[in-house]
Amino acid sequence: MIFSGLPLAQMLAIFGAASAFVVALYILKLRRRTVSVPFGKLWRRVLKDKEATSLFSKLKRLLSLLLQLALLAMLVVALGDPRARAAIIKGRTLVVLVDASASMQATDVTPPAKTRLDAAREEVKKMLRGLGGSDRMLIAQMDSQVTALGPMSGDTSELERALDLLRPTDARADFPRALRFANDALRGADSPEIVIVSDGALGEAKDASGAVHLGDARLTFLPIGQSTRNLAISQFSVRRYPLDKNRYEVMLEVTNTGPEAEDVELSLLGDGALVDLSKLRLKPGERLPRFYPNLSGASRALEAKLTPMGDSKDELPADNHAYALLPERRRAKVLVVTAGNTYLEAALLLDEYLEVTLITPRAYADKYRSSELRTDVVIFDGVTPAQPPKAHAIYLDPRGPGAPVKVDAELKSPGFDRIDRKHPIIRWTALDDVNIARGRKLVGEPGDKAVGASVEGPILVAGTRGGFRFVAMGFDARDSDLPLRVAWPLLLLNSINWFTDEDARYISSFRTGEVWRVPVGANNATATLKKPGGATEQVPVHEGRAVYLGQRAGFYELSTVAPGGEPQTTTFAANLLDGEESTIAPVPELLVDGKKAGRLEGFQIGVRREIWIYLLLLVVLLTVLEWATYHRRLTV
Amino acid sequence: MGLLDAVFKKKAAGVRKLGDDDLFDDEFQRKLEYLALVSRRVFAGRSRAERRTKKSGSGIEFADHRDYQPGDDFRYLDWNVYQRFGRLLLRLYEEEEDLSIYFIVDVSGSMAFGDRAKLRYAKQIAAALAYVGLANLDRVSIVSTADRVLERMQPTRGKARIFKVFRFLKAVEPAGATDLEDALKTFVAQNKRRGLAVLISDLYDPAGFERGINVLRYNKFDPFVVHVVDHAEGKPKLSGDVLLYDCETGEEREVTVTARVLTAFHEAYEAYLSDIARFCATRQVPYIQADVAQPFDDLILRVFRRGGFLR
Repeated sequence: MIFSGLPLAQMLAIFGAASAFVVALYILKLRRRTVSVPFGKLWRRVLKDKEATSLFSKLKRLLSLLLQLALLAMLVVALGDPRARAAIIKGRTLVVLVDASASMQATDVTPPAKTRLDAAREEVKKMLRGLGGSDRMLIAQMDSQVTALGPMSGDTSELERALDLLRPTDARADFPRALRFANDALRGADSPEIVIVSDGALGEAKDASGAVHLGDARLTFLPIGQSTRNLAISQFSVRRYPLDKNRYEVMLEVTNTGPEAEDVELSLLGDGALVDLSKLRLKPGERLPRFYPNLSGASRALEAKLTPMGDSKDELPADNHAYALLPERRRAKVLVVTAGNTYLEAALLLDEYLEVTLITPRAYADKYRSSELRTDVVIFDGVTPAQPPKAHAIYLDPRGPGAPVKVDAELKSPGFDRIDRKHPIIRWTALDDVNIARGRKLVGEPGDKAVGASVEGPILVAGTRGGFRFVAMGFDARDSDLPLRVAWPLLLLNSINWFTDEDARYISSFRTGEVWRVPVGANNATATLKKPGGATEQVPVHEGRAVYLGQRAGFYELSTVAPGGEPQTTTFAANLLDGEESTIAPVPELLVDGKKAGRLEGFQIGVRREIWIYLLLLVVLLTVLEWATYHRRLTV
Repeated sequence: MGLLDAVFKKKAAGVRKLGDDDLFDDEFQRKLEYLALVSRRVFAGRSRAERRTKKSGSGIEFADHRDYQPGDDFRYLDWNVYQRFGRLLLRLYEEEEDLSIYFIVDVSGSMAFGDRAKLRYAKQIAAALAYVGLANLDRVSIVSTADRVLERMQPTRGKARIFKVFRFLKAVEPAGATDLEDALKTFVAQNKRRGLAVLISDLYDPAGFERGINVLRYNKFDPFVVHVVDHAEGKPKLSGDVLLYDCETGEEREVTVTARVLTAFHEAYEAYLSDIARFCATRQVPYIQADVAQPFDDLILRVFRRGGFLR
């Protein structure tokens, strides 16, 4: 037995002083209340019998004093916080990782818990009730990141408060990261133990740094969940057609992750209105893709919903709803400086959202020499201005010192021998066999990208000058068979889209659990993000993009206000779309670092190892007993 | 209003302090008249002032014999009996005389214990019985006693003297300890004329109530005991450690009052009352227990029914 509270000497001093006080109180004779009686002789007769028991009364008085001293001793010992030496040695340091991933929103639990997360919370509460006196615990939420919900503590009320902070997410759990966090938290601690409270859909404990090694820490797994039946929208995507941006297509995939065939109703909504409704029957484990081509209309917000029918069961509602947004259309102003080029004009006619203005090189020189350009894109067809315009620009066969790149020697029959196929301006184009009569080698500056190059050197370069993007093509399209190919208008329109950020790489929805980088119009340090629930949050903006780790599915609204400018709002969608999370079948065993996680033990509910609590309870019990006997005149 | 104020006000309302001013009010006097009428109806046919005493004397009607004692008047010897049996016996006659009624009111400290209920009750009983006696043309006298005779009202008769009785009783104040033996010895010495001695007392005599009653008996008075009791005294509201002191003697005693002690006290109190009743019954002394909780007129009627007061 050791004292972890007050030292023994101090306890003895307190006991000495307090017991002296108690004894003094017993020795002191209090003045009795004087009461008049009419006939003292009667009392004398009664008290004659009582005096016979006065010895017993004295004994009772002595017993009462001894009881008071015993109570005092117990209180003083309680102040010393006595603990069994064995209990001190066996004190554990626990990190409880509670899975808050999307699959933990499954409803296959017994009431009053509504979700697996509620059940997990209850299980941890039970652990808290059985926590040892010298045990210390840290509770952390495990989702796409890992968040400690409170400090490492042995105080159950503090731990319960931390547990109340647990919130579900629509993301998958980053298990390796959580394990590394737990390992770090337990480094150097006594009897380290990691408790995983999860349905087990955590994947392998391995990340880019390799497999997670647990070291000395004991791993315990507390499985949650029972059912395996679930239907999910596992893919959902939407895009505008590159050459007809009024029309769009939707691709989605419905998955039955359960072991039974399920009937389901699939609804597609555009801006809240029903666009399509279909009834499907999915076999066990079936992934059914659905494709909706050639959809048109003014809809921007698209939603897909799954509703189980008849006897079909779906235990996880979180993956029954998917969201997507079509890219917003903005009329781009294009100024074409050309002496006349039918192929160029025809290509630009394909996108009706372009506001094209044709101007001769002389008129351009006269008109825009001194005044500001009010256009988004300038296409210089065979001409090169002395000064680069303050707008994005496409240079077709640039010449002279005003060109953004150095125009080198003429090449005979160049071709696209090397193509940077990842660059957005050549998406969906086939340039490999384009025949070019003559062209010129373009030498870009460091940072420029040679998108297409002949053996002799680059002939298609993209880059940035003075904050504006440019694309330079080292040959006249008319000296090649490019205008006769689909690649020609695609190349032009891709370039314009790249300039205006309206490129075909537009992400119709973000994945939850990933860090999103959403483009914002203004260069502010922060932006205001309105989340699906309606709550708002300030998010940082880095290099023109708001950075945010999103964990909830739904529509988001990002607002920025440029200094002295109009407020700009960007809307985007986020989805779970994670087949692994939708597979809700609970895993009975967990394997980490080649070792099987053990079962939870050592949490005996209602047994606390702090002795002072029992001492205090004993004091209260004895005081109640003394009170009762006093009032029943047994100990008076 | 605070809680304490409320409690004290309630207490004050519950305990009505009765003064002696309203002791013999109009209502009381109306009740006396009624009692006098009732007494006449109960004892109809008996002539006024015709009480018979068992005395050897000049009466006409033979009553009894008794042994001759030296000093007796030879004139009352029954010579016929002497002739037949050889024994000297004295003839006794019922002597007709007006009765003397003495009201001995105990005014010791114990009678004024608490809210003086017992003393007030004793005064009312004395006044009521005195009125009946006066109405029957008896000679009524009142004395107040404690450990001695304190005040004395000279014998008087006639209904009109009732106000004298009232004045006397009103003026009586509680004082001293109880010593019935000493007080009644003085009383019998002061009153040579024997008669009915109505002792109105709580009989809280440390030396023993028997002695006082015996003094009356041995001196040929006809004692009539009206025992004034307040049953609340048998169940005192006490608890915990207290210092008891006797309101008459001032004797102190430390007591820890428990439920068991209270029960024992109550039993002792009841036993004391029983002892008094038993003593009176065995000595053929008329005894009435007067509970202060009982209306006094009911008590007076009970006295009439019990007999011994009016013959």
